[in-house]
Amino acid sequence: MFEFIGKNIKRIDAKDKVEGKAIYPQDIYIEGMLYGFTVRSKFPHAFIKVDVSEAEKVDGVVKVFTYKDVPGKNHHGVVLKDHEVFISKKVKRIGDPIAFVVAKSKEIAEYAASLVKVEYDILPAVFDPEEAMRENSPKVHDKDNVFYHFKIRKGDVEKAFKECDVIVENVYKVPMVDHAFLQPEAGVSYIDEDGKIVVIASTQYPHFDQEEIAQALGVSKDLVKVLTPAVGGAFGGREDITLQIHLAIAAFTLKRPVKAVYSREESFIAHSKRHAMKMYYKTGATKDGKLLALEAKIIGDSGAYASWSMNVLRKAAVHATGPYVVENVKIDSFAVYTNNPFTGAMRGFGATQVPIAYEQQMDILARKLGLSPIEIRLKNCFKEGSETATGQILEKVALEKCIEELKRF
Amino acid sequence: MKIELNVNGKDYSIEIEEHLRLIDLLRDKLNLTGTKEGCGEGECGACTVIMDGRIVNSCLVMAFQAHKSKIITIEGVEDEDIKNAFIEEGAVQCGFCTPGMILAAKSLLDKNENPSEQDIREAISGNLCRCTGYNKIVSAIKKAAEIKRGGRNV
Ligand code: FES
Ligand code: FES
Repeated sequence: MFEFIGKNIKRIDAKDKVEGKAIYPQDIYIEGMLYGFTVRSKFPHAFIKVDVSEAEKVDGVVKVFTYKDVPGKNHHGVVLKDHEVFISKKVKRIGDPIAFVVAKSKEIAEYAASLVKVEYDILPAVFDPEEAMRENSPKVHDKDNVFYHFKIRKGDVEKAFKECDVIVENVYKVPMVDHAFLQPEAGVSYIDEDGKIVVIASTQYPHFDQEEIAQALGVSKDLVKVLTPAVGGAFGGREDITLQIHLAIAAFTLKRPVKAVYSREESFIAHSKRHAMKMYYKTGATKDGKLLALEAKIIGDSGAYASWSMNVLRKAAVHATGPYVVENVKIDSFAVYTNNPFTGAMRGFGATQVPIAYEQQMDILARKLGLSPIEIRLKNCFKEGSETATGQILEKVALEKCIEELKRF
Repeated sequence: MKIELNVNGKDYSIEIEEHLRLIDLLRDKLNLTGTKEGCGEGECGACTVIMDGRIVNSCLVMAFQAHKSKIITIEGVEDEDIKNAFIEEGAVQCGFCTPGMILAAKSLLDKNENPSEQDIREAISGNLCRCTGYNKIVSAIKKAAEIKRGGRNV
């Protein structure tokens, strides 16, 4: 009946991959290409002064790029343009890019990078998002650290909690997680025969990179071409810009091909993480196990930059009741800047963190009520026509069947 | 300094710097970019090659240590059974671990055509995969072993 569904389909790129012929950006070598190495912040929060003169004197160094060398806008970011291409005044996390040393070899670039002098005027930093929410805490972006607050309100939780026979209240915490895709970031940039700036990089977002590169170069979008060769895993971790703009600026300025490959360590430092979240949960039910009210406060650690935090914290809130019908709901989610590594997309976009909280709440409720974990879930799970906390009416819901299946185990 | 070695059946006599790693020799000098670098410190196995019949992490072997040795990289694997089994079982996703996995599998099957699941898991225990969750890789290696024992090609 179907051409593909239910059938085993071979990946079109699998043959190249098993033969070692698939090309990832680090596999690209161009005659006469230069190598770039990034100088990064060693402190989480500090004003900086940068002196590249010693580094530029090293034999084999072609140029050291800093914020002064960004031809267009010194910014990027998937939702808010709050990242700088190169830090101009203040670093906001360990790993913030400060300079990009371009040299004839990797070794020279890396050596010269160690000679870039960065003077740090260290500022008090904040690493706990709840602390960052307080008025008197250090400000990461010189404004309120809370930059997103999403609310869901349904029914009347206050009244409903009074009618509950049992209420459980707990705080859940989940840590940051790195994607650890197996292929560290790498890329090559050059100017092609038509005068276009080409960036070959493993990215999840080539069309958006194109726009961000063009803005940083101060050129129109059609002068920038972003090519995505084989990508060695991503899981959300390649949605933000890492080396794309650095490479493009270098190739655009020097008119020579430039390549950069991150080490595993630099990869960890350079890209986003999954949001650490602190989740305050209060869930109430009647004595026969029907959920009546749920109140949750979810605080997401956005780290130094926003990346996809709004989308992630919105999704966390939307999923906060789990797949259960609750008539009275009050949910508040927040995205908060801190001086931690920045957090963004990672498999589930916020829907991954909240089950730790809502499912444990269900188990604890069940135990208190003397019900089995399956019973309490069957009693409350989304069914055909159920209404979610955000007012969506659901169709084609097969959850009950799935839970029934679990009885076998 | 100058070293001699055989890579994928071809003899090389090549001038190298003392600090060069085997992985750099293969990728940067011999253009064999199928060998991947995932960590550079012996954790991930993406750089696995076969050296004198045994798998090694080519990021941890200095090029000069490969003097007079025989190296097989993914480009030199002629065993179609393993490659086809990987394709058919869906053991390849992003593919960055794949060359190393195939060499680890080859090294196992060269010695043992009837490995248990435990043998297979042990054989690839030095190779990380972030995409597949390993099960499909294990079934691919099982399948390749079956094909070999049946003495037929796919
Ligand atoms: S690159 Fe050699 S073990 Fe990871
Ligand atoms: S297929 Fe991506 S790491 Fe294994």
